[in-house]
Amino acid sequence: MKDLKSFLSEIDKCVKCGTCRSICPTTRVLGRESACARGKLTLIRAYIEGELEMSDDYTRHVKECAMCGGCRDVCPAGVKTTDVYLAARADLVKVNGLSFLERMVFKNLDSTRLMPSVLRLGARFKGLLFKAASPAEAGTASAIETDTGLISRFSLPLVGGGRLMPTVAKRFFLDLKEVRRLGKRPKKASSNTSETASVKVAFFAGCGVNYLMPHVGTASLKCIERTGAAVSVPKGQVCCGMPAFYTGDVETAERLARKNIEVFEEYGYDFVATSCATCSHGLKTVFKKLFENDDEMRDRAEAFSAKVRDITELLARDLKPVKTVEGISPTAPESGGKEAVKQISVTYHDPCHLNRNQGIKAEPRALLEDAEGVDFKNMKFACSCCGLGGGLSMTNYDLSIAITKRKADGAIASGADVIATACPGCIVQLRDAMQRYGVDKKVVHVVELL
Amino acid sequence: MLSDKNYISLEEIVGKEQVSASKEDLLCYSYDATNTTYLPDAVIFPANALEVSRIVELANLRGFSIIARGAGSGFTGGSLAVSGGVVLSTERMKRVIKIDEENLTATVEPGVITWEFQQDVEALGLFYPPDPTSKKISTIGGNIAECAGGPRAVKYGVTRDYVLGLEVVLPTGEIIKTGTSTMKGVVGYDLTRLMVGSEGTLGIVTGATLRLIPKPESVVTMLAFFPGISEAAAAVADIVAARIMPSTLELIDSFSIKCIEEYDPVRFAGVGALLIVEVDGRPESVKIEAELVNGVCKAAGATNIETATDKRAVKNLWKARRSISPALFKLKPNKINEDVVVPRSKIIELMTGLESIGKERGLIIACFGHAGDGNIHMNIMYDRNDDAEAARASEAVKEAFELTLSLGGTISGEHGVGTTKAEYLEMEIGSVEVALMRRLKECFDPKGIMNPGKIFSNKSAVRVT
Repeated sequence: MKDLKSFLSEIDKCVKCGTCRSICPTTRVLGRESACARGKLTLIRAYIEGELEMSDDYTRHVKECAMCGGCRDVCPAGVKTTDVYLAARADLVKVNGLSFLERMVFKNLDSTRLMPSVLRLGARFKGLLFKAASPAEAGTASAIETDTGLISRFSLPLVGGGRLMPTVAKRFFLDLKEVRRLGKRPKKASSNTSETASVKVAFFAGCGVNYLMPHVGTASLKCIERTGAAVSVPKGQVCCGMPAFYTGDVETAERLARKNIEVFEEYGYDFVATSCATCSHGLKTVFKKLFENDDEMRDRAEAFSAKVRDITELLARDLKPVKTVEGISPTAPESGGKEAVKQISVTYHDPCHLNRNQGIKAEPRALLEDAEGVDFKNMKFACSCCGLGGGLSMTNYDLSIAITKRKADGAIASGADVIATACPGCIVQLRDAMQRYGVDKKVVHVVELL
Repeated sequence: MLSDKNYISLEEIVGKEQVSASKEDLLCYSYDATNTTYLPDAVIFPANALEVSRIVELANLRGFSIIARGAGSGFTGGSLAVSGGVVLSTERMKRVIKIDEENLTATVEPGVITWEFQQDVEALGLFYPPDPTSKKISTIGGNIAECAGGPRAVKYGVTRDYVLGLEVVLPTGEIIKTGTSTMKGVVGYDLTRLMVGSEGTLGIVTGATLRLIPKPESVVTMLAFFPGISEAAAAVADIVAARIMPSTLELIDSFSIKCIEEYDPVRFAGVGALLIVEVDGRPESVKIEAELVNGVCKAAGATNIETATDKRAVKNLWKARRSISPALFKLKPNKINEDVVVPRSKIIELMTGLESIGKERGLIIACFGHAGDGNIHMNIMYDRNDDAEAARASEAVKEAFELTLSLGGTISGEHGVGTTKAEYLEMEIGSVEVALMRRLKECFDPKGIMNPGKIFSNKSAVRVT
């Protein structure tokens, strides 16, 4: 990773036209210039030049950002704003270190034992701090099964009051029997079952799927298997490292990236797939950046990254669903005594890490449009940020959830019953927002509808 | 410097959270789209007209200056604290108070973002035409202060044509109402028109009643390719002379095209000049007008004319057009951005004149803009660190202004005078008129606390960086 000072010329590309204000979700909520890129770049520049100290205000302004990348995308001068922010965040960590909690979490993200144990323990005592959300509160009034989540009883540090927290899964995805089975390392290429399959997909779970939404993982596996591809779930895989990376803890991000690359290298695969937009963005684009100064690791990261696909991209582009190949048509409503396919009205929220960072926008929509029983409609503000990212939901929950208000408005205007998206992080945030703003809509991952 | 006493008084008016003198906030409110920096002494965020009034009253009493600021997207330094003082941001005053569908008017607070307001009214089948290029961020208050225009001005006019009445806080602190909420009104002097375009020097707009019109049913967007700037300029004059009334008639020269080539590299590469033409109205008339435009452009030498069919293409085209101004920095690190206007029949003379000024002085003068109303954005590109080039650029500005005035034009169509054009004011305005304007300013603002250093040249202004 490059030093913050080296970004001075990048910052100087900003001509202060203010176009960044038009898209910035934090500017929309805070109504302050310090929230938008023009302001942040000015502050970071002043800090680099020694005109400004690393004050509390400076730190707050650098962190007051969901890292959605909107400003970078609309900037007519082409300033790579998010790269500058990341360098500024890394600089904050270098100087001030991490908070106690961040340290606790990030240092243990690569442990395949400790993290799960802590989360299991937490799950046991959750009742002290949280109450279960009623189906209405969680917006799960009908058909699709989702976990309802928990609502905090008090205003908790890092959590806030009245916040809908996702439930930690009873059994983690990577512990599921059927998943562990897929983790068997191929002994030799010849004796493996996947030999017969034309395409081999290695699945990367990510923390959201593993700890909170195993059903999204199993649904993803089913979708892949349905295409005839062989799936493996490499054993020993750890967090993608993006939470640490976006907080500025580059060291942890590097460690986790290295570990994941090593684990996956033991498996043969044509694609690495994941159902988390943040993970796919990280695996695909950040890993390379982390090893900019390490030729050997960079080459390995590049080889790995070239195979990474978001699940929506993989299903819509790289793999052909078997059912259409074999010509099995979906049961027509009028044919036979079977119950007519119930149409659910579904809209889609674009995760920034998928849309802005990977340019994947059409793929999930195409999948939904083709999905049986789904009546797809686009929503207003579909690509505006959910507010969770960049650590914002941890460092400034009030701002984070205020940003999500716009999604709730868009969801209401869409008239859809279900909001589909492609990122567990977005799902957590959107569910919380639906509960908070009293919107009776379910939030699910695209793969759950396929 | 703002004394502690004054700072505390400001806190008492708006609350501790809504005023700041932290270095971080001062830096963030020290610039605008001119990309120059002047640190204010404080920034304040009032919630309503009453708070604005109390702030201004205090400033007038204690003798510190107030500089109103919307989104900071101005091109002439209108919102810069050139001699310190308190920047008053309207960012919290962003309510659309009422859209009156029966009378086709709307009442808004100054911090409402132009584009968002347009979305609101268009959802009701109504139309607020003024569309400055920065409309996605600029505020109605800022648009009123600068009398912003935009591409649609050729058919629909500029901000002043849509302001019926205002609520203004005078530099002495009183809240006044100007104009009416009716379509007509001639009682007393027209203070509304005086306020519109006064660049925040005569008062701070805290509310506006705007005129709306029915939204045109359909729009056709055409893109005409020309081998050179003179053919394109001729087409502009011919369209006007042919009594066609396009809703947009935008000219883009080859330097500008170069900067936005990435938006459509295949079609834009090597093009001499482009015209974006839009006609709007009822579908039947739009069709006829589009055909007329087509014929005129061809006769003037267009090599190709495309009609945009899908929304995305139109959106992308406008995105490219809006990006020209900031993207010009790809040519040179600095620019002098002027928005001269000439009678439309003189567009060709202006364009060829500017071309030769550029050639003579060895400068790139990139031109684009609302040619349909004679308003050209000429951008003299230079490097601030190259003294000789900077000097040539500044000579070129003067020469370009002389050319503009000799053609019967004006040195600013929609950006205002601010600080960047203050020294040229008297090239266009006679001494008697300037004296009258100065007397008006003194009459409104006897202590000179409101946006000092703007319009009239003020030698005391010192640029920080």
